[in-house]
Amino acid sequence: MSRAGKITRRVFLGAAGAAAAGLAVGYYVYRRPFPNPLEAQAGEGEAVFNPFVKIPTEGPITVIVPRAEMGQGVTTTLAALIAEELDVRLDQVTVEHGPAASAYANIGMLEEGVPFPRFDDSTIAEMMRGGMGVVGRFLAMQATGGSSSTTDGFTRMRQAGALAREALKAQAARRWQVDAASLTTAEGFVTNPATGETVAYGELALDAARVDLTADPILRDPAEWKLLGRPQPRLDMEAKVTGAPIFGVDVDLPDMVFATIRMNPHFGGTIRTLDDAGSLAMPGVEKLVIIETHLGNGFGVIARSTWHAMRAADAVQVEWERPDRAVDDDAIWAGLEAAVAGRGSNFRDDGDVETVFADAPRERMVEAEYRVPFLAHAAMEPMNATARFRDGELDVWAPNQSPTLTRMACAREAGISQENCRVHTTSLGGAFGRRLEVDYAVYATRLAMETNGRPVKVTWTREEDMTHDMYRPAAMGRFRARLGEDGMPQALDMKIASPSIIASLLPRLYPRLPVPGSDTAIVDGSFNQPYSIANYRVSGVVADNPGVPVGFWRAVGNSFNGFFHEAFMDEIATAGGIDPVELRLSLMADHPAAVGVVEKVADMAEWSASLPANRAKGFAFATSFGSWVAEIVEISETEGRIRLEKVWIAADVGRALDPSIIEAQLMSGALFGLSAAMFEEVNFADGRAVQTNFHDYDPLRIHQSPDVEVAILQNAPKMGGVGEIGTPPAAPALANAIFALTGKRIRQLPLAREVDFA
Amino acid sequence: MRLTVNGNPIEIDAEAEMPLLWALRDLAGIKGPKFGCGIAACGACTVLVAGQPVRSCVLPLGQVEGDVTTIEGIGRPGALHAVQEAWIVEQVAQCGYCQAGQIMSAVALLDEIPNPSDADIDRTMGGNLCRCATYPKIRAAIKRAAASTGA
Amino acid sequence: MRRLFAIALFLMPGPAFAQDEPGLIEWEGLYRVFSHPRCANCHTEDDHPRWSGAHYGEARIHPFNVRRGPDGFGNPGMTCRTCHQETNSPVLHGPPGSPDWHLAPQEMVWFEKSSGEICAQIKDPARNGGKTLDEVAVHLRDDALVAWGWEPGPGREPAPGSAEETYEALKRWAELGAPCPQG
Repeated sequence: MSRAGKITRRVFLGAAGAAAAGLAVGYYVYRRPFPNPLEAQAGEGEAVFNPFVKIPTEGPITVIVPRAEMGQGVTTTLAALIAEELDVRLDQVTVEHGPAASAYANIGMLEEGVPFPRFDDSTIAEMMRGGMGVVGRFLAMQATGGSSSTTDGFTRMRQAGALAREALKAQAARRWQVDAASLTTAEGFVTNPATGETVAYGELALDAARVDLTADPILRDPAEWKLLGRPQPRLDMEAKVTGAPIFGVDVDLPDMVFATIRMNPHFGGTIRTLDDAGSLAMPGVEKLVIIETHLGNGFGVIARSTWHAMRAADAVQVEWERPDRAVDDDAIWAGLEAAVAGRGSNFRDDGDVETVFADAPRERMVEAEYRVPFLAHAAMEPMNATARFRDGELDVWAPNQSPTLTRMACAREAGISQENCRVHTTSLGGAFGRRLEVDYAVYATRLAMETNGRPVKVTWTREEDMTHDMYRPAAMGRFRARLGEDGMPQALDMKIASPSIIASLLPRLYPRLPVPGSDTAIVDGSFNQPYSIANYRVSGVVADNPGVPVGFWRAVGNSFNGFFHEAFMDEIATAGGIDPVELRLSLMADHPAAVGVVEKVADMAEWSASLPANRAKGFAFATSFGSWVAEIVEISETEGRIRLEKVWIAADVGRALDPSIIEAQLMSGALFGLSAAMFEEVNFADGRAVQTNFHDYDPLRIHQSPDVEVAILQNAPKMGGVGEIGTPPAAPALANAIFALTGKRIRQLPLAREVDFA
Repeated sequence: MRLTVNGNPIEIDAEAEMPLLWALRDLAGIKGPKFGCGIAACGACTVLVAGQPVRSCVLPLGQVEGDVTTIEGIGRPGALHAVQEAWIVEQVAQCGYCQAGQIMSAVALLDEIPNPSDADIDRTMGGNLCRCATYPKIRAAIKRAAASTGA
Repeated sequence: MRRLFAIALFLMPGPAFAQDEPGLIEWEGLYRVFSHPRCANCHTEDDHPRWSGAHYGEARIHPFNVRRGPDGFGNPGMTCRTCHQETNSPVLHGPPGSPDWHLAPQEMVWFEKSSGEICAQIKDPARNGGKTLDEVAVHLRDDALVAWGWEPGPGREPAPGSAEETYEALKRWAELGAPCPQG
């Protein structure tokens, strides 16, 4: 069994952020290390160097990538961070997700959960970020979200690789009686250049893992990188093109039974009556289990196959209770209208907006109201989890974005302590924020309590998935601008109303925790854009939520604020008679990264070139998750139908760890945003979601998909996120293109309400 | 019920109305075809039956007429199908959940149209949803596979 | 539209157009069948089948870029049979099914066509598959895909009447001189 050395501990703590020191929290507690979760499970002949690196005496090295692989390539990039410093090729490592553990907490994500623009480097902003890091450590939430995996892992994963490498060198030096500094490492071997002697890592591993290093390892200069900064073949690609059973739905365990659930689609409603006689008589059906939790009420059917369970669930005669509160589109929009007319909290208030508007002449005013609908995540893999409850111990296999939350919620459901609950994270067939929730794992746990120790795989129908989502909230904005004589905005005032995500989410996770009053997500993407406008106010209002569960959806608040801010900015440009790109360059002149991407994308798309009469381009910019992105969409119109021809994206991510994966993420993010902008909408009627499957919630398909060209810039001083940043500018760039082509200013999504797409 | 899947005879003990998808996944342990919607609206479950593409989530076992080929039957690590090779070169997959279905549709397309146009690709692949929206790379990979097999 | 209408008038035998004429009353019943979404949605002029009905809203183009293909049976890699099996999916919103699921030939257009236009097409051997009216009637009675229109699966409104009733009505209409309405 290995021990983590002194330096190992200190280095891993250091990664959490030193700014914590000044805050009124127990410094010692903060510095105390989390236990290494691998030590308990190290196999024979396997050396555990730290929570991220295991080296066996023979065979491939294991690196732990404790983030969900949901398509964003995190397995490959985080493994490359370790491999770069460990001096191994990527094909010499195998990647494991590892267990749920505080050692894998995502500090970067929580650091971003503070109400300051990312580019604000003021002391207070830094203090707050550091403070959230401390909170993150106390909550110790292991999660994948907020486009934070690479920023969070950037130092920590390289340190993990470097520490293991230095320990291996130290052990080799001891063996050869030479100075460790004289040795070199490459491709899994330590070499003594003086003698030509080499030794494989595996041969040194068991002893090396016990080495206490006496100095901090020095991380490589990026100029020396062999893997990072270059496109790497994805480690998960072959499995994914051969149909390998890597997803949650593919979990297969001895003696496993299959199940599905039906939950009351009327949010918060219970079961009024239920008759399962016909279902239980059907072949292959084993059991019906009533599910009553604070997350939802319904039942599960356990059977010999998923299909037998689904067919029997269809046959159950159930009458759902309908809560009194009206959940329908009218009530929701009435709530949003009331909220946007009410008083907001200012998240940005530069200059003196009220005074500037007080004497604004009508012809210098631009005013508009914008709306976006609720959206489903509709990940390709429907919600599912497999659970086994045996001898007081619970194992949960789940495609999830937060193993520690999953463990907490499932242990609570089973009435056991968290030490007796193990979460096994599979590959995720899409997530987009939906799998930060715990409902599917809790329901599987509930069913596993009823199977006498047999594992049960619980797969939702698409209909259950779509009608029990935690939806991207609808939002509404009222905006006004005052233009100067030169057409430039002197004042911009934005008020945005939306149901609070955090107020909906927190009771799902922590039923007894008080709900916060404000929510930065409502204005995220509008209050923190790098425009210099003398009088600039962005306020947010939490709208009454009649009971629709809302949650994180790719780019969260930025997903709609990108549309609000940038479509309205296009209106300002039009009203002022200024080219939209010129307007941005002028207003963002203080931010070179912003200027850089705007100029780059304009250049790529030949923005100023003239187009045939049936074609037009639209532009939008958004900074989110620490990165800077400008997009141009070109459309054409034939026989009244609009086709998306091409999208150009220029993104400054500060540091591009893997250009190929980043390009894919930008493409995906933009098309995901366009899909929502064009087609997607969840309506509510009669207390439940109207849309149920892909026949009436039909996202973007290949024949509607434009070509995408991406340029990645690395001028920004800080490394930003990648997975969500393509989404915010996509909708406004398209809406602005439609305006340029048709003169129709569409202020409500989805755009297919107003135009036909080819 | 007797099926031939990827060249192997398999015996399935199930009702004739059970969809092929679930018989493959839950009874025969063949997990390549994926469940996405259950109504033939996403294409994740696509397999070939007698060489023709079928959404296995809506094909009752009793109506399976011919040999079944799943993603596992077209190639495997070390001996990949040209379409799978092209998918790797273009680094198509992100979450990967839909890709087995995408690849099976592409195989069916290329079997009949070895050198498909963009419109041909659109007419075949419109039935296969990808929420990661890997569409530009899917298109490139199909063309790459066409070029590699046509050579 | 106008041009087709003119052709329809030209083809129309018999002198009478009065709405109370027995033949026209019979036709009215047939028109309700042919123009019903279960029938008309796959008798389209263009490349696209249509969807409509209680769960699908007003008629819209079949999504997923489903196209007619060279023979009405779809395209390589996505034929009608890729999704539409021999029987209806029992799942709500699942694909309806019948042996030989396909689009009617392009000349047999019913979707968004007027009563007179559909009537003229039914009688025109050049556009009805070279059939006499007796043969049309038998086709309506015996064809499996036509029969699907009266058993369209869960959540879909069936066409009015039944195959047998439609057969009988067409025979009566033919015996009454197969008159077509204006428009």
